[in-house]
Amino acid sequence: MRKIWFRSIASLVLCLMGLAGTRGRAQEFPVQTKTLKNGMKVLVQSDHSIPNVALYIFYRIGSRNEHPGTTGLSHFFEHMMFNGAKKYGPGDLDKVMEANGGSNNAYTTRDTTVYQDWFPRLALPLIFDIEADRIANLSFDPQKIQSERGVVASERRLRTDNDNGGLLDEQLWATAFIAHPYQWPVVGWMSDIEHWTMEDLKHHFEMGYSPSNATMVVVGDVTPEEIFQLCGKYIEPITSHAPPPPVTTVEPEQLGERRLVVHKPAELPLLLIAYHAPKTNSPDFYALNILRTVLFQGQSSRMYQQLVDKEQIALEVSSFAEPAFDPTTEEIFVQPKQGVDPAACEKFVYEELERAKSTAITDQELEKAKNIRLVEFYQQTRTISGRANTIGTYEVFFGDFSKLFDAAKNYAAVTKEDVQRVAKTYFGANNRTVATLIPENEQKAKQ
Amino acid sequence: MRFQKKITNLLGLSVLAVFASSASPAQSIRIPPHEKIVFKNGLTVLLLEKHGVPIVSFDAIVKAGAAADPTGQEGLASMAAGLLRKGTKTRTAQQFSADMDYLGGSFGANASDDFTAISAEFLTKDLSRGLELFSDAVLHPTFPQGEADKLLAQSLDSVKGAKDDPQQVLGLYYNGYLYGARPYGRPDGGDEVSLKHINRDAIVKFYETYYAPGNTILAVAGEFNAAELRKKLEEVLGVWPAKSVPAVTIPATAPVKGRRLLLIDKPDATQTYFAFGNIGTTVNNPDRVAIRVVNTVFGGRFTSLLNEALRVESGLTYGVQSSFDLRKEPGTFGIYSFTRNETTVQAIDLALQVLQKLHKEGLTPEQLASAKSYIKGQFPPSIETSSQLARRIAQNEFYGLDDNEVNQLEARIDAVTPEIAKLVIQKHFPGDDLVFVLIGRASAVTHAVQKYAETQDARAVAEPGFWPPPTEKK
Repeated sequence: MRKIWFRSIASLVLCLMGLAGTRGRAQEFPVQTKTLKNGMKVLVQSDHSIPNVALYIFYRIGSRNEHPGTTGLSHFFEHMMFNGAKKYGPGDLDKVMEANGGSNNAYTTRDTTVYQDWFPRLALPLIFDIEADRIANLSFDPQKIQSERGVVASERRLRTDNDNGGLLDEQLWATAFIAHPYQWPVVGWMSDIEHWTMEDLKHHFEMGYSPSNATMVVVGDVTPEEIFQLCGKYIEPITSHAPPPPVTTVEPEQLGERRLVVHKPAELPLLLIAYHAPKTNSPDFYALNILRTVLFQGQSSRMYQQLVDKEQIALEVSSFAEPAFDPTTEEIFVQPKQGVDPAACEKFVYEELERAKSTAITDQELEKAKNIRLVEFYQQTRTISGRANTIGTYEVFFGDFSKLFDAAKNYAAVTKEDVQRVAKTYFGANNRTVATLIPENEQKAKQ
Repeated sequence: MRFQKKITNLLGLSVLAVFASSASPAQSIRIPPHEKIVFKNGLTVLLLEKHGVPIVSFDAIVKAGAAADPTGQEGLASMAAGLLRKGTKTRTAQQFSADMDYLGGSFGANASDDFTAISAEFLTKDLSRGLELFSDAVLHPTFPQGEADKLLAQSLDSVKGAKDDPQQVLGLYYNGYLYGARPYGRPDGGDEVSLKHINRDAIVKFYETYYAPGNTILAVAGEFNAAELRKKLEEVLGVWPAKSVPAVTIPATAPVKGRRLLLIDKPDATQTYFAFGNIGTTVNNPDRVAIRVVNTVFGGRFTSLLNEALRVESGLTYGVQSSFDLRKEPGTFGIYSFTRNETTVQAIDLALQVLQKLHKEGLTPEQLASAKSYIKGQFPPSIETSSQLARRIAQNEFYGLDDNEVNQLEARIDAVTPEIAKLVIQKHFPGDDLVFVLIGRASAVTHAVQKYAETQDARAVAEPGFWPPPTEKK
C-alpha cells in the first residue's frame, strides 16, 4: 500500500511486523547510545563486514502534524531538505555525496520523516558536514520550491492518481478517520500541493526540525567513539527549540460500518477493509502480529487458502499495519479476480475473522507464526541498512531500541487465547471501513 | 541504489547486476571464497560459506527461460516454474505450503528470458528439512491439472491487472515493440491470448525437456559447513537422473533502423509514461564496465544528466533513468520516465537533447571520476547477504563470468578514460535510430508526438497482448 512517500522512487518497506524468535531471545547486536547536549539521541552499531555505513535520521514529524490547507507539507519538506543549505547550495548535496561514493533517500509517513544516507566509510566526515549544514542552515529558494512542487505532483500522480491501490487507500483513510489527522494523505491533496507557501515551509522547519526532535542511527564500518566525536563536532553545536505541539485530537470510537465506492475505468476491481487498531506501542502489538500471520502470511495462511486457493475469487490477499504513534488501522487488501463482486470476497474475509473469534487458532499455527517472525527478524537485520531502519523504528515507536531484543520473549508469551481476544476486540463490523473500486465497464454492463 | 530500484519498479523487469566494482582503496571488495563441484549427473553446485546470520540461501538456475517458450505459448516457462510448489509426488500444494511456512521458509520460482531461477531460504537449523522441500519441488513436481488450471486463470487476471498500472507494463510494451515476435520481445509471463493456448501437457513437456541436472546450476550461500552440505546435496540431488537437453538458441538481434513510435491509449491516465531507445548489448560484452560507468553519468543515478534536466532543473517528472538490460544476446537500452499529459513533448524533447549532447560532448574527467567513486562506493551492499551472493555466483556461472567480475572491477573501472567513454557512447548509445513507446491518454498527445517517428502505431491498453498480438504478426 502507498502510505509511505519517498523522495525518490526506490521503495523500501518500513517493516515492524516480525522481529523475534520462538525460544528465548533472537540474535543480539550491541548498540551504543549517547544523548547530545542539544537533545538528539544517537545510536551506533558497529559492523565491519563491509566498508560501508548506513546513517538514518528519524524526525518525529509527519502528516499527523499538519492541518487542512497544508496537507503533504511534511513530505514536500522532505524533498526540500535536499535542495540547498548554506555550505551546500541547491544541487550540491547530491552531487558531492555521489561523487564521494554515497547515495541517499528519504521517506515520510503519517508520523515520521526519515533521512537515509548510504556511503563508504571514507565519506564519514563529509556526510556529517552535509547533515549538519541542512539541519542548521536550510535555505528556501523560491525557484526550487516551484520546481519541486512539480516533482511532488508527479509523484502523487504516479502513486495515487494513476494507481488504483493508492487511490482507494487514500479514500479509505479519509473515511475511516473523521477527526484525527491520519485522515489526510501523506503526499497531500493536489490542491494543497499547488498552494502551500514559503511561510508554511519555514513554519514547518521551525516546528519539526529541532535536533531534540530527532534520533540518529549509524550502522556499519564505524566505531561508536568516532561517531560520537563527529556528532560533537558537527551536530551538538546546533541549538534545539520547542518540538511540534502535541497532537491532542483523539479519533472518536466508530459506531457503525462505513462504506465507500470508487468508480473508474479499470480491468480489475479492488477491495480494502480498515479496522481501527491500537497504536504500535501497545501490549496487543504482538498478539495482533501473530493473528495477522496466521490469517494472511504465506500460501498456507487461512485467507490465502480460502480466497485464492479454494474459492479462487481473489488473486492476492494481505494485511498490514504501519508503525504509528496514535491508534491506527489494520488494513486488509484484497485483489479480486476480474468480474468478481468484491462483496463475495468480503463475505469470506468476514467468515475467516469470525472463525478466529469463535475458535482458538491451533498450536501448529501459533508455532508457525512464531517461526515466520524469527526468520523475518534475521531478514530485516542482516544488512546494515535494514538494521539501521529496525533499530530506529524500535527507538522511535516503542520508545527504546532494546525492545527489539525483547520481541522474541514477547512473541513467545503470546497464547492462543490472546490471539482470540484481539480478534474479538478489534475485528467487529462496527469498527470497519470498507472501500471498493468498481470498474466502470463492469458497472455499465450491469445496468 | 535508488535508481537501480527504480528500474525494477518502473519496468517490472529485474535488472541483472553483473556489473560491480570494488570498494574504497582502503579495503578491496572481493567475493568470498566458494567452491564449484560438478556431480556425476551433471549438476553444477556452488557452495559459499558466509557466517554471522543463521540463514541458508538457495539459488538454482535452469538454463531455459521464457525465450524457450514456443511461439503462441508465451508464459509457458513461467507456468512450469510457478507450478513446482503446487503438488509433488508426496505433497499436495497445500501440504507443501504448510511445511514450508511452518519453517518460516520461503520458496519462489520465476522465469526470465534467459533462464528460470528457483530460490529458497531457510534457517540453518532447518537446513535438512528445507533441502528436502526444495528438492521435492524441483525434482518431483506432478503438475496437477486443477493447480495448472488455477494458475493459468490467475496469471490471466494478473496480466489484466498489471494493465491498470502503466508502470508495470511499460517495459513489456517496449520490449514487444522493439523486438517484435523475437524471443526477447515476448512477455515472460504471457498475455491474455497466449495463456489460453497453454495446457498441462505443454507445461509437463517443458519441464521434462529442460529441467535436468546437467542443465542446472545450484548455488547455496550462508551459514553452513560446506563439506557436510556437499554430502547432503549428493544424497538428495545426486540421484536426479541425467538426461540430454536441447540448448535454447536465441537469435542475435541488430538495432532497429529508423524511427518508430507506439502510442498505447489509456483514457483515464493523467500522465504519459514513456520509454525510448534501441537494442543494446550482451552481458559478456567487453565494454560492459565502461558502459556501466557512462550510463551512471547519463541516466543511472540521481545526479545523472537526464535526472538533472528532467527533474532537478525543470520539475517535469518525479524520476527519469536510462538502463542497459544485459542478457545472453543483446538486450534493451532504454530511457524511461513519465510526465503530465501537457508536458509530454517537453519532457521527451529534453531527454532527446540530453542524449544528443552525450554524443556531441562526451564526458568530462570530473563526471567520470564521480561516477567511478559512486559505483565503487555503492557496490559492497550488493553482495552483503547470502541470498545476494548465491544469486550472483549462480548468474556469473550461467553467463560464463568469473569472480573477477567482482574482484577486478575496481581496476576495470579505473581503466575507463574519457576516450574510452567516447567510443562506448558511439558504439552502444543510440543516435538517431530510436523506438518510442508511450502509454497515456492518446487524445491528449497523439498529434504532438507525431514528430518523433515516421512510422506510427497505436493500440488501446484494453486490447489483449502487448506487441504484436499473436494473431497480427507482422
